[in-house]
Order: sequence, then C-alpha cells, then structure tokens
Amino acid sequence: MIANRCWNRKTPRLAVAAVAWMGSLIGLANGAEGPNPHEVAKAVDARLKQAFEQSGVKVSPVCKDEDFLRRVSLDLTGQLPTPRQTTLFGLSPAANKREAMVDSLLTSPEFGRHWARYWRDVVFTNATNQRAQLGRQSFEDWLAAEFNRGAAWDEMATALLTATGDVYDEGSTGLLFAHDGDPNEVAAEASRIFLGIQIQCASCHDHPSDVWKREQFHELAAYFPRVGVRPIRDGERIVSYEVVSVNVSRPNPGDALRENADRMVRMLDRNGDQKISKTEAQNARFGGPLATAYDRILEVADADKDGLLNATELKNVPAPMMGRQPNTEHYMPDLNDPASRGRLIQPKFFVDGSEPGQSLSDENRRGAIARSMTSPENPWFAKALVNRMWSELLGEGFYMPVDDIGPTREARFPEALEALAVGFTASGYDYKWLLKTITLTDAYQREIRAASGSPDELPFAAQKPTRLRADQAFNALLTVLGVAEPTPRGGGDGPGARFQALRSPRFQFQQLFGFDPSTPQDDLLGNVPQSLFLMNSTTLSGALTAQRTTRLGRILSEFPDDGDALSELYLLTLVREPSKREREIFSEYLASVGNRAEAYEDLMWSLLNSAEFLTKR
Amino acid sequence: MSIARHDNIAMTHRGFSRRSFLHTVSAASLAAGSLGIRDVATLHAEELKRQHKSMILLWMAGGPSQLETFDPKPGTENGGPTEAISTAVDGIQIAKGWERTARQMKEITVLRSLTNKEGQHDRATYQLHTGYIPSGSVKHPALGSNLAKELMSEALELPSVVTIGGGRFANIGAGFLGVDFEPFQVNNPGGLPDNVGVASTKPRYERRLGLLGRLDEEFAQRGGETVVENHRRIYDKASKLVLSTETEAFNLEQESAATRDAYGRTAFGNGCLLARRLAERGVPFIEVRVNGWDTHQDNFEAIDRLAGEVDPGMGALIGDLKDRGLLDSTLVVWMGEFGRTPRVNPRGGRDHYPRVFNALLAGGGVRGGQVIGNSTADGTAVADAPVTVPDLFVSICQSLGVDAAKERMSPLGRPMKIVDGGTAIPGLFG
Repeated sequence: MIANRCWNRKTPRLAVAAVAWMGSLIGLANGAEGPNPHEVAKAVDARLKQAFEQSGVKVSPVCKDEDFLRRVSLDLTGQLPTPRQTTLFGLSPAANKREAMVDSLLTSPEFGRHWARYWRDVVFTNATNQRAQLGRQSFEDWLAAEFNRGAAWDEMATALLTATGDVYDEGSTGLLFAHDGDPNEVAAEASRIFLGIQIQCASCHDHPSDVWKREQFHELAAYFPRVGVRPIRDGERIVSYEVVSVNVSRPNPGDALRENADRMVRMLDRNGDQKISKTEAQNARFGGPLATAYDRILEVADADKDGLLNATELKNVPAPMMGRQPNTEHYMPDLNDPASRGRLIQPKFFVDGSEPGQSLSDENRRGAIARSMTSPENPWFAKALVNRMWSELLGEGFYMPVDDIGPTREARFPEALEALAVGFTASGYDYKWLLKTITLTDAYQREIRAASGSPDELPFAAQKPTRLRADQAFNALLTVLGVAEPTPRGGGDGPGARFQALRSPRFQFQQLFGFDPSTPQDDLLGNVPQSLFLMNSTTLSGALTAQRTTRLGRILSEFPDDGDALSELYLLTLVREPSKREREIFSEYLASVGNRAEAYEDLMWSLLNSAEFLTKR
Repeated sequence: MSIARHDNIAMTHRGFSRRSFLHTVSAASLAAGSLGIRDVATLHAEELKRQHKSMILLWMAGGPSQLETFDPKPGTENGGPTEAISTAVDGIQIAKGWERTARQMKEITVLRSLTNKEGQHDRATYQLHTGYIPSGSVKHPALGSNLAKELMSEALELPSVVTIGGGRFANIGAGFLGVDFEPFQVNNPGGLPDNVGVASTKPRYERRLGLLGRLDEEFAQRGGETVVENHRRIYDKASKLVLSTETEAFNLEQESAATRDAYGRTAFGNGCLLARRLAERGVPFIEVRVNGWDTHQDNFEAIDRLAGEVDPGMGALIGDLKDRGLLDSTLVVWMGEFGRTPRVNPRGGRDHYPRVFNALLAGGGVRGGQVIGNSTADGTAVADAPVTVPDLFVSICQSLGVDAAKERMSPLGRPMKIVDGGTAIPGLFG
C-alpha cells in the first residue's frame, strides 16, 4: 500500500522555497515530509466549498460505492471492476476502503498501461507524419514502464524532449518522431502538451488576444533545429527510423558529388573506362559516401542506363526536390519574402526569458529547454498537468480546453488549481501523488448530476459524466464478454511483427472509437459508425448470443432465477445492481418476448449499446 | 430570386421559421432594398441544399504518373514506351489505355499544369484533401466535409460524406467540423457496408431499440440526461440509416448487367457505380479510391493494369451521369497527391514529383473538350498556366456554388476559410 510511502521522493529545492508561503496558506505539512495528499485534497475542497456557498450552489452528494469503484478503476487503470470485486468492495466495512482501493489500483501494472495509452493518444493524434504510427507501440511500452516504476512527470517530459535513438527501441523518441523532428511542430507541441500554451498561433503573426509575439514562438523553435530523423536501412530496405542530433551543418551530399565529379572519377576509376562501377566505388581509401549510397545515386543519376556512373552523370545528380533542408540553426521566415531563408533566431524561453547561449549543440539546446520547461519556477508545467488530470478525472478542467491555458486565459477556482499545482510541484512532480490527491477530494467523489444549462452554473459541484476513451471501452468489452485480448496473427519480432500490431483488433477499435484526449467532453458526442459497430457487428453479436460457450449463456445456466441473472448482468456490464424500475421494465419485456434466451440476448445487446455503458459516471 | 421561392424554402427548413423571418425582413429591409449580405448568404445556402449538387472524387492513391495518363510524351526519352491516342476532341491526345475516357473528352477539362511542393504521401494526401499543409495544432476539415456541410439537405438519410475503398491515409475527415461530416467508409462496394445490415431481423432490431430507449431513459433520470440526449441523437441517426430504404443505393444488383459491365466489375468500377447511385440520392461528396499508383518500379506494367480498371469506371461514370442529366449538378474530379518523375529510374519506375502533375475535371459546369496548362517538352516543369492546390480548390468550390472564402471557426477561435488563397482557374467554366 502506498499510503505510508514518502511522497517527497524527489523534491526540487526551488520548489520547496516556492511552496513555502503557499504551504502555509493551504496547510501543507512543510519540509521533509512533503505534501500530504489528504491535506491538499482538503484545501482544494475548502476553496471550492467557499465559492459554492457564496453562489448558493448545492453540491451533489457523495457517490455510492459501486459508482466510485467503477469510476476510479476506469480512471486509474482503464478497466471495469468484475462483479466479484464490486460485491466485495460494497460489503467491506473498512472506513478507508476508497483510499485503499486507490492505492491498490496505483500499484497495478494496468495503471502504467492505461496512462501510457492516454499520452500515446495525446501525442499521436496530432502527428503530422503518418509513418509516426510505427512508433506508437514502443512509445506506449516505454511510457507504461515509466509510469509503473513511478517516474516523475519532469523525468518523462525531459526524456521526451531530449530523446535520440531508433524509434522502435527508444519509445521516448515518439514526440519528435511524430513530427519528423520539425522544429516548428515540435516547439508547438511541446508547448501545448507540457505547458498547455498554444504559442504556435503566433508562428505566422502576432496574436491579437495573446501576449506571445511571433518572434517568441521562433525562439522556442530555435531549441530544436538540430533534431534529425533519418531512415535506418538494411541494404535498400528501410527497416526503421532514428532520431539523431545533427550538429554539423553538412552540405547536401549531392553538392559534394556535383562539385567533385571529375576528381572522383580520376581517383576511383581503375579500369580506365572513365566510369565508376559499384566495385570501384567501394575503394577503401576514397570511396566513402559514394559507396554506401551507390545504388540510390545510380537510380536517380544513371542517364545512359549502363549501370555505371560517369562524371557528367555525377554532375547532374538532381538536387533534392523537396523536403526540409537540414539546418543547424533556426530561421524565422520573412513574411514579405517567403522564399528567402529568413532571420537567424537564437533560443530563448518565452516564459522566463532565459537564453542558453548561441551556437549550442543539439544536446545542450534540448537539455536547456527541458530544464527550463520543467523548472519549479515555471508555473505552467505543473498547472498544465494538474489541469489536464483534473479534467480527465472530473470531466472538466479549471481551464478549458486543457491545452489552451496560460496567462491570458482565465481559470475557474484558480486557488484550488494553485493548491494542487503547488502540492504537485512539492511532491517532485509525482504523477501518482497527483492522481491520488485528486481522487481523495470530495469534488471527485460526488454523484453525477444533469447540467442545469444555466450559464452561471459552476463546475465541480457534481461529477460530470464523461465518454469512455477507446481503450477503456475496448477493455470494458473484453471484461464483459469474458474473452482474453485477441492478438494479431503472426508474432515474433522485426518489421513484419511491428506492422501486425497495426492490424490488431484493439488498433482497429481505436481507429473507430478513438479521439484526441485534449478534446473537451462537451464535444465528444460519438458517431454513427461507432453505434453501427456496437449494434450490428458480427463479432459482437456472436459473443452476445446465449449459447453455452458465451458469458451470457453461462450466466443464464448458473442463475436460473431471473432476479439473480438480472443482477449478475447489471453488475457485469454497468457495475451496479438494477433499480426496482429496471427490474420491472425487464420482467415486462421478458413476458412480452416469451423466450428467456432471446429476451436476455436483447437485454445484453441493449446494455452494451446503452449510453451508460460508454460513460464514466 | 423571388420572394415566393424564399417561402418555399422556408417550408422545408426544420426548427427555425424561415418564413416569418422573411416576412420581417421583407417588410423592413427588402422594401428599402437593403437586405443584408448575411441574409442573402443564408438564403443562398438554403437554395444550394435543394439543388443536390455533388462532387465525386476519383482518388488515385500513391500519385499517378502524368506521362502514362493525360500528359503523354511519346517519342521522347522521358516519355518512355507510352503511346498516345486520339480522343473525341480534335487535337487532344491522352495516353494509350484510356480509350473509354477518350470517348468522353467532350465533357472533360484536362489540367496539365498542377504544381505543388509536398512530395511525401501523407503530407501531400492531406493537402490535396484539405487544401492546407498539415499542422499539429489544428485538424483541417477535408474539402469533402466542408462541401457536405454546405450542400447537404436536412432530409438526407444517407451519410453526407462517403469514402469508397480504403488504404493508407484514407482517414482524413471532418476535422473540427465534427461527426456529422466524418466520411462514411465503404470498404467493399457492391453490398451493404459493414454493420449497416441488422445482425438479427428488422422486427427484433426495432424491439431491441425499444428496450434500449427505456433503459437509457433510466440513466437520464439518474443524472445522465445530457449524455443520453447525445447518445439518442446518434442512435436515431444510425438506426434511421439501418432501417432506411435509401440503403438500397448500396445494392448494385439493382443495376442492369450491361451497366455493371460498362463500369467494370472491379472494385473501382463498382465504386464508381455506387458513387453515381449515391449522388443521385443527394449525397453531396463521394470519394472512390484506387491504390497502387506509387509506381517506383515497373511503372508501365502497373499503369497498364490500373488503367484497365480505372478507365472503364471513369468513362462509364461520366457518360452515365450525362445520360441521366446529372452531369451539370455533379462534378467529377480525377487526381492523386502528386505526379511522377519525368525521368524513368533504373527499375523502370518513376518517383514522386509534385512539381508537375495532372488532373481531370468533368461536369459541374466545367467546360468540356479542352486542355488547360502544359508541361515542358521534357516534362520537368510547368510551361504555362500553373495551377496551385488552392487554385484547384477554389475552382471546385465555384463549380458547386460554394463560397470558398467562407470562414469557419476553428476550435482555437481562429477563423479559417474553406480555402485559403487561390483563384479560380481561368477558362475552366462556360
């Protein structure tokens, strides 16, 4: 159990200082003990309560045990509890059983898997390069292990900003690979994801409603010009990609060929035909790059198609037609002359104005921005995550949408957000600390309530029902149908197996049910193909029949009494007992259908298609 | 436009009384001759939706070679072994293998001077579908979704955007326009799409929907009201499709054997026939995809095979639309994400080449029987009348009567035009 663990595993010294005054305000246990989740949760609730009382808002009561269990299991592990877990949890007389459940979920391996999938969606739904999908799985696996070992948020952010290596082996390259290492895209996404600030609006013009200037965006991009993404080849075949640091401004290799064509022929031609063959190019002393790229050069340059390269052909090697010219510095385009290179820009962090220096190596640039972004003195790093997690768990953030916060946006209940952000910083950016603290608040544990629709309505007076994410819904279906996760055929390792993962049932399901986790809940309405799948897909309807081999069939034979069978089905699908009214509805239905198996098949179908099944309540 | 016509529009509009609005307007502003531009635009939009304009995009995924399609260069080194054939229009020649298309040349504009910079499949596919270069911060709506939003009639029971055929990069959708304009994917044209047919029987399906409705009502009572309302809206729409007689559109068995043979009983031929059936029923945007155009090797053999499938489908589609009087209201566009290198590589292939590529346009008011733009003799550059992606998109909008400069609000509160920049291609219409 983690309750007694020291949450202060890695408290940055600055954070302690920054927290000192705030700590006294919100009653933090100061210093070595670190922030106590209970006390911070209490402080948050106190801030909310004050505002509710002032506005005369009535808060929703504490939710029932089964609602809490379903909610917290989905939030922390992405899984539905089983009927047995639900029953035991309800029967347990322990006073602290909710906290104990949170602690146990936080140590389950599903915790890391669930949050890795969440962040995979945050990063990859916005990928500007489709081949980035190849890095999804290694990204998810890396992050799952990080979360499960208790990695701090700043460690993970730093890894994502500073990663290098093969995208299949180093999952932390995911963010850079998703944008092909493009400095503008990486800067925009790093700011959006880690700070919640949409500074890229300023990439083309000074934004009227924001404080950020165009130059500040490009100063952020200037931390990333030396990120390179290049293919790893096995012969001619591309087997993977790697993220590398490009610190030497290399002229285009084609330029060297074109300029030195005559000399190369003189040095490499051994049989006197004034042409270079592949064997000749492999000359150990002079061959170099020509040998390694011989086939590709031949392909584009061999004008007379004799399978050899002469000086004229080398001089005519076509320049790369498109694509980003690799550059070791960042230039801000001149809007009046878009074809020109633009103005050289040095890295500078827009939040605190820090400047790491000029002509720095890739390692130093990216190291510097990682330090600046994750610094306890940068309030947006903590606030962005706190706001995002709060929104994920309560259905609505202090700032909405979660990836558009910053000094010009207005937060609701800013003191409550501040209390959480300060505590989170003092915890050493401990991700589990943050989730535990949020789940301990009264705000999290309230019952859902229909929105009044009034513009004065305050959030967090009731829990907001939210739509399950694709992986949560997929896990829920597996649990309900009692089947193990179907794995794609094949297996093994290597590129073939990697592509297989993109054809797995889970991936297909994600394609259909997935959405960008940064989307506000109010905009998540589901769509027609999703409901068609749940209503009519042959895969599901097969599993929903009342045969002896299916979950439904087993329940019907195990529980001959309809009251018991109904309870079991509701516990299984909706993690609660049916209400009296629901029992009446079904017994009417059963009577009208007149066939037990058919009626239950219809019920199971209706439960899986119900709004409640796809909703976190 | 007459007032009487406005009143007719009002009667088909749901949820908002256009009629009373117009009466007010006519009393106050119309008499003074000062109907606001916004009001006129709104009326115009309503009118558009009644006219059932549609676009059918024939998408050649992978990047079709211009030299083996509609800009052949026979007898030149870059032209390779590809021969040219005459068409129904004197002086216009296209590549051999496109005989059925050649016969429809009187309806077609051949566009030989498209030029662009994106040479990566995914980025170029995105750009040629949305008109915008990909950006991590905003998901631009595909042009098809934008058009559907403008053109879709409220009464349409079928999906407003249909994509026939799959493949990589087939998932560019409604972006921030939302689920109503997300492409509906049909993988195997011919029968009912996946999951549209009921798993049991229709009476049992309706019985189940009844039970589902009662159970959802219980959840609404317990705080899930908003969620249930959304859920019900989507399920209504989905079940309307499942139970709709309009889904007969998907059943190609209703066509005569001769028609099916004319289109070709291939995935693409079936896709084109289905596209016509959907356009007839008011679906505003249909894309039919063919994969396999990424001909880095064996370009000529591959395109022989592809043309054998695409040519009959496209030729039959244009002819059939014309015969049915649908060609004026239906724009057919043939294109891919870029062209191929004029130089043939040692593997007998051609590589990516966005600098010059071609497209065909037919119907939707496009003037037939003409070529716009030319490439240079060696095919490496545009010789005259260069056309950019925004130019093409503005022209498409104009063909369908959609205002390309209309702004939509992106989620970050930034207004975005349907097409950013660009001017309509001179001489395309009329």
